[in-house]
Amino acid sequence: MTRGRLLVGGSVAAALVLVGVYLLAGGASYEPQKAQDPCEPREWRDPGSLQQLAEQFSLSALDGAACQLGVSRETLARALATPEARERFGRRYGIDDEKLARAVRAGLLRAVDDAEAAGALTPLLAGPLRSTLEEIPLDQAIALINDASALLENVEGFFGPAQGVIERFFG
Amino acid sequence: MLADSSIVVLALPEIYRELDTSVAGVTWVLVSFNLVMALAAVPAALLARRVGPGRAAAVGLAVFAGAGLACGAAEQLSTLIAARCVQALGGAAAVTAALELLPATVGSERRATVVWAGAGATGAALGPAVGGILTELVSWQSIFLVQVPVALAAAVPILAVARHEMATRVIEQEVRPAGRPHLWANLALAMVSAAIAAALFLLVLLLIEGWRLSPIGAALVVTAMPLAAILGSRLGPHVPDARARAAAGAILVSGGLAGLALLPKAEVALTLPPQLLIGVGLSLVLSALTETALSGRAPQAIHGGWTISARHAGVVIGLLALTPIFTADIEDQRAEAIEAGTAVILDSPVEPLLKLGLARRIAERLEGETGRVPTIGPAFRPLPDDPEDRADVEQLRDELQEQLNRGATHAFSPSFGLGALIGLLALIPIGLARRLDL
Repeated sequence: MTRGRLLVGGSVAAALVLVGVYLLAGGASYEPQKAQDPCEPREWRDPGSLQQLAEQFSLSALDGAACQLGVSRETLARALATPEARERFGRRYGIDDEKLARAVRAGLLRAVDDAEAAGALTPLLAGPLRSTLEEIPLDQAIALINDASALLENVEGFFGPAQGVIERFFG
Repeated sequence: MLADSSIVVLALPEIYRELDTSVAGVTWVLVSFNLVMALAAVPAALLARRVGPGRAAAVGLAVFAGAGLACGAAEQLSTLIAARCVQALGGAAAVTAALELLPATVGSERRATVVWAGAGATGAALGPAVGGILTELVSWQSIFLVQVPVALAAAVPILAVARHEMATRVIEQEVRPAGRPHLWANLALAMVSAAIAAALFLLVLLLIEGWRLSPIGAALVVTAMPLAAILGSRLGPHVPDARARAAAGAILVSGGLAGLALLPKAEVALTLPPQLLIGVGLSLVLSALTETALSGRAPQAIHGGWTISARHAGVVIGLLALTPIFTADIEDQRAEAIEAGTAVILDSPVEPLLKLGLARRIAERLEGETGRVPTIGPAFRPLPDDPEDRADVEQLRDELQEQLNRGATHAFSPSFGLGALIGLLALIPIGLARRLDL
């Protein structure tokens, strides 16, 4: 074999080895993680405090609303952060306030379902909460998604002391 | 002058920030110089033969120095670009005239070709380090200002040659018609230069703008490429077949660029193996193609002009073709990184109220750096006093940084990949260079 052919052969081998090693090391998939489908169920973390329960509730509500609107949970979270961001979001995706309100309410209802399924809300608390949320105005619904602790504090405050008695009574 | 692009590229991120322009805008600091060099190289070589290489080189160096002064004083991008155009005119005259002057100094045209190509390689080797050190320790303006005394110092011995030319008036007798340029070798030179420009330009931007290295840090990293080129230049003489050297070089450059397109992590060390391949490859392919383009062709200055023209045209094509792709990709990846970063924040175990404040500060940084990969570190300062909260916040910061690193690295992948493809396509004219010796 001539030196020229050896050089070309060696170069091909070196290039292939480098590309092969980098591919095996995950070079083809080194990119930002993809957002999870908001319509898929997401695991509930065990809430250690009311604040964490509220956060979990908000995340679940975001998932539900994002699923309805066909956007990611992350996009919706940023859109609901400020009125300006909400306006930009509405323009970009062609979503008016009515459609957004329906989606946010649906999201909050899903959050109640998820909380109930995870054992974080009893059926007794979940029922009236659903009725309240079905009629809630958009601004309040958004405020709830952003900070559900006020709602949950009120619910627990209302039912808290009597909860055990009522649950025993209704079986 | 042959090293100009490798010096200036290190200052681009600084110019980009200081003159408040865009990536596409700052690219023209390189594009304008290379475009004018590509257009002016052959006419400058013809002029050098007509007025005498000594005079052409002296005037060229003076113009280059004067325009360098204007570049250093520029406060607007448009002024800088205009000065760069004038600088390239002077550069074209000086570089092509140098090839005409060299045979008399070194003894033969063949030796002159080797010395001339070697000067380009040495310049490229020193370029990134010089550019990085000057940019960081002094300012981006200094990379242009430092060229002024260097060019003037080079002009001093040439003035004697120019005076001798004027006294003897031997120039007109030496003018002879130039043969046709070597089409395939020059075409391959242009394609390989496009790929190499992509490698250097994009790697520097990735290191400084994507991974936030300092200019000196980036300069040290990219110096690996020219150091490998020195290794490659020792390998070349052992292989007499120029076409084999050119093919091997093009394959190595493409392999290295493919490696940069497939970086498995945002780590500086991982850029070294691809740089090693690119460095060895560029040394093999550039010298082999320049030799082929000049071999048996006279006058050397004219054909040297064609090789300069081809190389600089390649750099222009590479930059113009890849910049829009890369700028669009960095915007897409920025959006994806923000999406991934939001997910990291939402899912983080950081205490909700603390998280809310952090999210607001991070969002401000993201909004404030449109078109760039944002720096998020300051959003996390000061860290909370509580050890548990501090650990959670630090974990969140690291995860968020990882998503941004992934976004930044991935944004460069398609451009590096396209550079690799251009390098591979150069194998076509390299293959044709021997069969059709045009």
